[in-house]
Amino acid sequence: MRRRFRQGLQRALEFAVLGLTTALAVVVVLGVVFRKLGAALVWYDEVASILLAWLTFYGAALAALHRAHIGFPKLVDGLGPAYRRPLILLGEAFVLAFFLVTAWAGWRVFGILGGETLVSLPWVPQRLTQSVIPIGAVLFIIAELVSLPDVWAGPASHDDGVDPSEGEGVGLEGSA
Amino acid sequence: MILLVMFVALLVLVLLNVPIAVSLGVVAMFAMAATSGIGGLSNAALVLYSGSMKFALIAIPLFILAGAIMNSSGISTRLINLASALVGFIRGGLAMVTVSASLFFAEISGSAVADVAALGSILIPAMKRRGYPTPFAAAVTSSSATLAVIIPPSIPMILYGVMSGSSVVELFVAGIVPGVLGGLLMMGVVYMLARKNGFPVEGAFQLRRVGVALREAAWALLLPVIILGGIFSGWVTATEGAGLAVVAAIVIGGGIYRELDLAALRKATLEGGVQTAVVMLLVATSALLGDYLTEAQVPQRVARGIMDFTDNRLAILALLNVFFLMVGLFLHSAAAIILVVPIVMPLVLAAGIDPVHFGLVVTLNLGIGQQTPPVASVLVTACSVAKADIWEVSKVNVYFVAVLVAMLLMVTYVPAIPMWPVELFYR
Repeated sequence: MRRRFRQGLQRALEFAVLGLTTALAVVVVLGVVFRKLGAALVWYDEVASILLAWLTFYGAALAALHRAHIGFPKLVDGLGPAYRRPLILLGEAFVLAFFLVTAWAGWRVFGILGGETLVSLPWVPQRLTQSVIPIGAVLFIIAELVSLPDVWAGPASHDDGVDPSEGEGVGLEGSA
Repeated sequence: MILLVMFVALLVLVLLNVPIAVSLGVVAMFAMAATSGIGGLSNAALVLYSGSMKFALIAIPLFILAGAIMNSSGISTRLINLASALVGFIRGGLAMVTVSASLFFAEISGSAVADVAALGSILIPAMKRRGYPTPFAAAVTSSSATLAVIIPPSIPMILYGVMSGSSVVELFVAGIVPGVLGGLLMMGVVYMLARKNGFPVEGAFQLRRVGVALREAAWALLLPVIILGGIFSGWVTATEGAGLAVVAAIVIGGGIYRELDLAALRKATLEGGVQTAVVMLLVATSALLGDYLTEAQVPQRVARGIMDFTDNRLAILALLNVFFLMVGLFLHSAAAIILVVPIVMPLVLAAGIDPVHFGLVVTLNLGIGQQTPPVASVLVTACSVAKADIWEVSKVNVYFVAVLVAMLLMVTYVPAIPMWPVELFYR
């Protein structure tokens, strides 16, 4: 059951990340082409920045599912189960609390935004663009909970049906 | 006192294996709640949202995507063939090919891990088959991939540019000379080790073979011309150049070479998207903490504290070098840039250090950090590809790390090395 749910969540987040990355490339290229043709797109910067924000939070949830966020696992992983497991729970509590507060804060802002719209595209409500914060935070919490049993089982455990190499490849330093 | 509590809290959270991005956010939220009450936390959503919208950082996923297309479309194989035709005849030929192919790669991709994975998966097994010791094969691949972070385009430089407010284009230009110099020095070390250990050559030099390889790789070589030419000439911004790199890679890999492997491309795009998100979440939560630190004037206080101790530019550079080398041992480069650069920038400016010059110093320091355990992601990737023990590889890697340290000292104390093309063309 958990495995099927996890696979479904993974597919949905992968679809979002692939779509957003592709959309980002398309928007930037269109922006250059139209500017060079002397017909600059007024919405280009704003839409590209929004796509990046969306990629940040939906991609962060996918990274949470793979436990690929940058951290320092060496200390906790090196301990025996008697010490490791309470520390895992404590660490998880901080992560969940942070995203719960973020989801709450995002929801409050959602209410405050009212009928505000984008500057360059007045028909696009700010509520739509900023929905990524509460939704992304909730997705992060779900991803964290779904992948918790694998962390609980220990660093050598890969019984989740997910190729562990997928997680390895998404560590931070790909960006270096 | 509050700052000390924040630092200790951050350290404890990181040691608890709370992701660094989340640790920053937790500490910042506690500080916000302590100063403005629980109601102040609703600002957190706005800061996180605006913190993740930095337009200049759009270049990161696009350069990663361009590199992914290149690796999935036969462009990398052609670059390796060209490098082999050019330098394969020298003693230690395959290792020479690794260094020179890394130089070619670095001009298109901004990611050292991507480079080491792409080149290493082809060249490390080839070196092992030709009798090179596995630790040597992993070490040369790992260290030469680090050149990618100083040769434009470079993702750490884009991050540094945004966090320090410096010109990304000037940073790119400043990386050219140190990058090429580093490549040549590494080839020197390879030659020395190859002679000492009797590594093989890959056949005699043939002009005809170079001609064929050059013709095959001509389109691939056009990629850096399009990317860097467009950016350096000011025709496009760095972000737009990254967009053009994606289009050019698709046209060349898919349209001309017709070898685009869509399954590999999908996987690499996905990984690139997640890598971007991981870095961007750090950027967003650091904005939360940054707001608080700026209000408390922490960077200015750090600058004043050190300037009271010494205002000698060279001494401050030495201090910052030691500090960044230490940081590089324990932090990934993007995290180090996002966390540390905003705090030290007032000091750098007060000491009269050019922010672009300092950008190269930071990038090289963190490049060395990619090679030094315990946190050494590029080295770890190379070891994983080579199936080699990290400590065995590190013993050989000492020679190559020495080259990177020599480069760091040159770049730090002879600013003209990175800066002359910047001064010549942009100032």
